Amino acid sequence: MSSNKKESTSEPRVGVYICHCGGNISDHVDVEQVAENIRKIPGVVVSHTNTFMCSDPGQELIQEDIKSGKINRVVVASCAPSLHELTFRNAIKRADMNPYLYDHANIREQDSWVHHGDPATAKATTLVAAAVAKTKRLEPLDPIRVDARNHVIVIGGGMAGLRAALDLSSRGIAVSLIEKSPFLGGQAANLDKLVPTEASAGDLIKQLAQAAVEDPNIQISTCSQIVGFEGYVGNFKVTVQTHPPDADTRRQIIRGITSDKSQVGKMIPFVGYFPSAVPTSEQTRIIDTGVIVFATGFKTYTPRQGEFGFGDFPEVITLPMFIRHMAQAAANDKHLSFNGKKIRRVAMIHCVGSRQIPGIHEADENDYMNEYCSRTCCSATLRAAMEIRENFPKTQVLDFYRDIRTYGRGQEDYYDRASESNVLFFRYEPEDSPLVEKNSSGDFPLKISVKDTLTFGEEIEADVDLIILSVGMEPNPITGLVDMMKLPVGSDRFLQEVHPKLRPVELANTGILLAGTCQAPMDISETCNAAQAAAVKASALLGKGYVELDPFVAGVDLAACSGTGACVDVCPVDAVKLKPVKINGEEVERAEVNPAICTGCGVCVAECPHNAIDVKGWTLKQYEDMVDAIVAA
Amino acid sequence: MSNESNNTPDGKILILATETCAYPGANSVGQAHSSYPANTYILRVRAPVLFPETFYLDCFKKGIGGIIIMACGEECPYDGAFHALSKRLDQVFKTMKAKGLDLRRLRLTAICTVCNRAFLKEVNDMNALIQELGRPTEGEMKAA
Repeated sequence: MSSNKKESTSEPRVGVYICHCGGNISDHVDVEQVAENIRKIPGVVVSHTNTFMCSDPGQELIQEDIKSGKINRVVVASCAPSLHELTFRNAIKRADMNPYLYDHANIREQDSWVHHGDPATAKATTLVAAAVAKTKRLEPLDPIRVDARNHVIVIGGGMAGLRAALDLSSRGIAVSLIEKSPFLGGQAANLDKLVPTEASAGDLIKQLAQAAVEDPNIQISTCSQIVGFEGYVGNFKVTVQTHPPDADTRRQIIRGITSDKSQVGKMIPFVGYFPSAVPTSEQTRIIDTGVIVFATGFKTYTPRQGEFGFGDFPEVITLPMFIRHMAQAAANDKHLSFNGKKIRRVAMIHCVGSRQIPGIHEADENDYMNEYCSRTCCSATLRAAMEIRENFPKTQVLDFYRDIRTYGRGQEDYYDRASESNVLFFRYEPEDSPLVEKNSSGDFPLKISVKDTLTFGEEIEADVDLIILSVGMEPNPITGLVDMMKLPVGSDRFLQEVHPKLRPVELANTGILLAGTCQAPMDISETCNAAQAAAVKASALLGKGYVELDPFVAGVDLAACSGTGACVDVCPVDAVKLKPVKINGEEVERAEVNPAICTGCGVCVAECPHNAIDVKGWTLKQYEDMVDAIVAA
Repeated sequence: MSNESNNTPDGKILILATETCAYPGANSVGQAHSSYPANTYILRVRAPVLFPETFYLDCFKKGIGGIIIMACGEECPYDGAFHALSKRLDQVFKTMKAKGLDLRRLRLTAICTVCNRAFLKEVNDMNALIQELGRPTEGEMKAA
């Protein structure tokens, strides 16, 4: 922007604009008094109020003052910046002023809605004064622009990966889909019928996988893993290693089908879609890409030895094991049977490996607990209960739950139908979980007992033939990728988005996106939602051929930098390097920031002994001046 | 200036609130119209790891009665930043102790986007403390 130099060198002339918000602010804050107070601050040249600053007349007020040359800095005092910060930046930009010479005082959510009368007015004055203090130190900034390759790597060939790959391709973006197993479909391949549509999981996988295989814009690499990573948004270099499956994988997963080329292009139930023959030799290649989409999925929780009798009694199985058993049962079976034995009564236990509570449940060998709800298991359990009751009405179903969480469209119907089909429900508290024991008398192999809160704590005991544990989801172990790409991980071990509501598919590492259950437990609908969101986000990032990034990254003051390297040592994403430069004819090392990699966290700022590095737009000095303004008010 | 006299003898509370978690959390409290003391000033920060040890001590020296760092905790979107912050604050607390500053004047807590109750508890607790301690004494300010 040509006016930038002028703006940065001119004495700050601040325009302050205080919003009534139609009474939301002015009913509690005397905005005219605030405007008058602020007008007395040195450097403030205009101080206006307006009924709605976000309206066209409100924005025009700012633009007129900019165009007339009255002001070269802007403070708007109104609602939360998340609502209108961008609105005012754009208004300023349209008036040909640098949009980053602006700050926002939040006097609605953090003042008029929580304080009243004189204290609210006084606080508004202080908050605006602090914003003015910061604004005086603002420098013009420009978005960082980097060229971007029109290519995306999708890691993981499950539902999320396939959905994202197809959507990206339809936007004209080349895709490399990297899948570590020989198959496509991920964990969805272990499912049968899906709630609430009763669609076949295998059919859905086949539909997506076939389309991906036939799409010339999508290159699928199975038996492949990422072993190297460098670069930044728009320009990542990813090393992919493809290798023949080891003997164990062949035996346990592939079950010999790789030698049978007639299986290529087929959906193998409870295994996955087989897109191509497995490689016979190892191969390593580097792929240049603009964006990376994580679709690494989940794994199902494996109960501990002895947890509800799992591993101790062959009649205790997990829900995925039961789903597979049911799908493979002969259609004309008259009785439900398992291991050749007739099943007269089944117990299903919810929340196994989910919603674990410290002090009640046992942590795993790495001291982790799954404190979250896995969200999908209640509906899946009730669906399985319904399937038993509808196909084998002589088999009784007892359902032991903590809470029924059949969230989502059409899913509560499963609970209603299960109730109508005489599935018997028992509710337990986590500290009084059901007890599973061997049955020493009678002809049932197991006995289950529980304190049932639905009958006000009555002790219930039942003989059963089979116990099905409704196991939850855990993130797939991707520590290697997390360490290599320095990705944020939440306390639940799932990948951590920037903001769960406002930026739900982005990681703080710009250009790396999230799709599906690597982020949190989701069902297939939600997984596809997330995958499509990630595809759109990637498309928006790459669509212009270059990427514009927020300018709020670290910047080095070369006059103050003495090349200690303290910033280099602490940078979590390797965005800062020491580079040789010539100063007064002498070659020395000075810090240099790669703005495309820097996340702007500021960890380097506090470490520099010479205050030579700062985050642009959020500098330490700006904060110090804001504190001074707060103290002085 | 008139009508700006909330510079009470009880001092002021500075809240450093992360833009992805605690700052929207404070907005959520506002949306619920839940009242809390007006001597609280929220500064939006990307990650509080930005502030060096001297920043906190200088704030006390300037007369800030209490500082609450409302971070994202383990949910921090910046890899390693929360750990680095905790490490730095250990050092700040050591220095505060050495200088005779009441350690309770500085508090680190994790506040999420919907942690309304936790936000109000932290603010009210710190306010009660500042009422009890008052703003930093001349001695404390000099030491800082």
